[in-house]
Amino acid sequence: MPPQAQQFLDTLNTTLPLEGYLVVGAIMFAIGAWGALIRRNAVVVFMCIELMLNAVNLTLVAFADYLPGAGGVGVGYAVLVIAVAAAEVAVGLAVVLAVYRTRKTVNVDEVNLMKG
Amino acid sequence: MTQQTVGQQLIIAAIPVLPALVFVVLALFGRYIREGAQYIATFGVATSLVFSGFALATVASSGVPIEFAVNWIDLGEGGSFPMGVYIDGLAAVMLVVVCFVSLMIQLYSGAFMQDDRRFAWYYAVLNLFTASMLGLVLAPNFIELYVFWELVGLCSYLLIGHWFEKPSAAKAAQKAFIVTRIGDAALFIGIIMFWRQTGTTSFQGISEAAQAGFIGDSLFTAAVILVFVGAIGKSAQFPLHVWLPDAMEGPTPVSALIHAATMVAAGVYLVARTYEIFVQSPIAMLVVAYIGGFTALMAATMALTKSDIKRVIAYSTISQLGYMMLALGIGAYTEGFFHLFNHAFFKALLFLGAGSIIYSMGSYNVLNMGGLRHRMPITFWTMVIAGLSLAGIFPLAGFWSKDAIVAAAFVEHFYVLFGMALLTVFLTAFYIFRAIFLAFMGEPRTEEAREAAESPGLMTGPMVILAFLSVVSGWIGIPEGFGLPIRDYFAKFIAPSEFAAETLALEPPSFSFIMAALSVLVAVAGIVLAYAFYVPKPEWASSLAYRFSSVWTFFDKGWYFDALYDALFVRPAMAVGRVVREFDLRALGGLVSGVGRGFSGAGERLRPLQSGGAQNYALFILFSVLILGVIVGAQYAFLVVALILGIALAAVAVGARL
Repeated sequence: MPPQAQQFLDTLNTTLPLEGYLVVGAIMFAIGAWGALIRRNAVVVFMCIELMLNAVNLTLVAFADYLPGAGGVGVGYAVLVIAVAAAEVAVGLAVVLAVYRTRKTVNVDEVNLMKG
Repeated sequence: MTQQTVGQQLIIAAIPVLPALVFVVLALFGRYIREGAQYIATFGVATSLVFSGFALATVASSGVPIEFAVNWIDLGEGGSFPMGVYIDGLAAVMLVVVCFVSLMIQLYSGAFMQDDRRFAWYYAVLNLFTASMLGLVLAPNFIELYVFWELVGLCSYLLIGHWFEKPSAAKAAQKAFIVTRIGDAALFIGIIMFWRQTGTTSFQGISEAAQAGFIGDSLFTAAVILVFVGAIGKSAQFPLHVWLPDAMEGPTPVSALIHAATMVAAGVYLVARTYEIFVQSPIAMLVVAYIGGFTALMAATMALTKSDIKRVIAYSTISQLGYMMLALGIGAYTEGFFHLFNHAFFKALLFLGAGSIIYSMGSYNVLNMGGLRHRMPITFWTMVIAGLSLAGIFPLAGFWSKDAIVAAAFVEHFYVLFGMALLTVFLTAFYIFRAIFLAFMGEPRTEEAREAAESPGLMTGPMVILAFLSVVSGWIGIPEGFGLPIRDYFAKFIAPSEFAAETLALEPPSFSFIMAALSVLVAVAGIVLAYAFYVPKPEWASSLAYRFSSVWTFFDKGWYFDALYDALFVRPAMAVGRVVREFDLRALGGLVSGVGRGFSGAGERLRPLQSGGAQNYALFILFSVLILGVIVGAQYAFLVVALILGIALAAVAVGARL
């Protein structure tokens, strides 16, 4: 890592406590959850899920940096989550497309095949 | 005790096993065999008869009982129940009688039942019936006897209810089964009492234990009387006689079998078989004698008014069985069993004769008959012979045994029983000839009677054979006091054991011409009276019946025993049954179906939760996680605050959705 970058990080660390990252992550997660729960457009729901995943990534990376004893394992998890999210989006969008073809809608309220 | 060879043992064992095998074959393959059933069945019983003859010859020539057994149930420390064979003179004679009567009836049934829908099944059960009775006769101990005893009851149920499509037949079968079951239960309790006291169920073992004083006096008497109650049920003695007249709903050959050789004879046989036990309880013997005497008289009066010819004969059976019990009770062991022996032939014949009439006219009612002597001469003459034998007219079979019983009652100083027996002789002669005169004499009273025709040879053949035996079967037991230069074979062969004779302190049997003349005269008087009432002036009988209509009705209703039992037992039992049924239906059933309804109702309520919207489900998951988080993280105050914020957020989210 170039020394300037190291210096920048150190500055951040000293000026931004861990709680800052966590609060941002929590807010992102809450917004994402809220959207996933209340938005009717399936594509938007997917975007909200991405938001939640990234909130988690942010938290993982922050912990990885602030807890040196963990050996940076959080970064590895974050990469894993990104990969899974990519795959999930691929499958999810395919499903949304398929639903759209048969039902001419992406409104999740009208897709209730699981009704008991 | 002589040892038999294995071959001999196999032959003895085959006596009950053959008819049982026939049952299995016919029960399994009867639907393919159909009419062929009668040949298989007849062959089986005929073979059994030959083997029984072999057993009789062996016992008669060696003079010692045939005895062998295998261990059946081994309880280790608790003892064991052997299953085996014990054939003395009594059993040997009984075997031959059972096989012979069964054979005659199976021949006869071939014609009588020819159009029956369940022809093969009928023969199957007939053979099981015979097998059960043979097994019962062979049994050396109470447990084995009880097994066959119950089988006999089952078969009688099946056969009485053979035409179960008729409600009355189904009811009669149930009645027979339930009433005899009362006796069976008593018998079983008696058996268990003996077993508990002596540790054995063998007749001999119990008798010896009782002689040695192992059993308390009152307990012993109670057990003996309980065993006798079993005999009362099976042999249709007062007060359990009510099933027998109703049992007439079965096919007539079955009635013949039940009355002559199998079912009802089992009770008398039981008392005779366990005679050494009975003689040790004077009270039980008195009970046997008086129950027998009373039953004989009571049933005879019931027979007086019946118009159904089969019922007349049925009551006659009850009455004659009463005689046998009376004889056994007063110590006239040989005479009692001799009467059972003779009775088997003439009673079977009476039923087969009645069946022959029914076969040709389709009616049981003597009032619909009349004048049949010209139309059915063989039936007429064989019935007359059977009637004379039953009435006890010299020198037919019935005379020798009945006179011996009446005389024994006198000799042994049972004067009340003697009076009852003599009165019964008169009534017997009257009622049986009343039926015969009404059926065969006078003019035909219906179209069917005018057109009646003699039955086929397959039916009259056995009747003629039985008629022959009804005359001569008594001749093997002609008392030596009679003066003929022949021996009293029967008394030699079937004598009470020395122990029994000593215990009872019997007067030596002696033949008295005065007594014989008296009993024959009384019987003749009965026949003459029946003739006077029913042949020249039938209106005499009806005017007499009218004048004494209350007595007539009392007899005709069978002393109102059915009504009494109906009010005392049947109705209360039905009422209890109804209460139990209601309880089961409402309380238990309500509870069970209530639980079911509760869950299915709850499910119905919860159903809308399954909206099918994935977001709703996600909402539930979120709520659940939040609640779990509160529970788990209660100690971290700041987390709780975060969660409460989260919940508030979620609540807003829900609010926005709904």
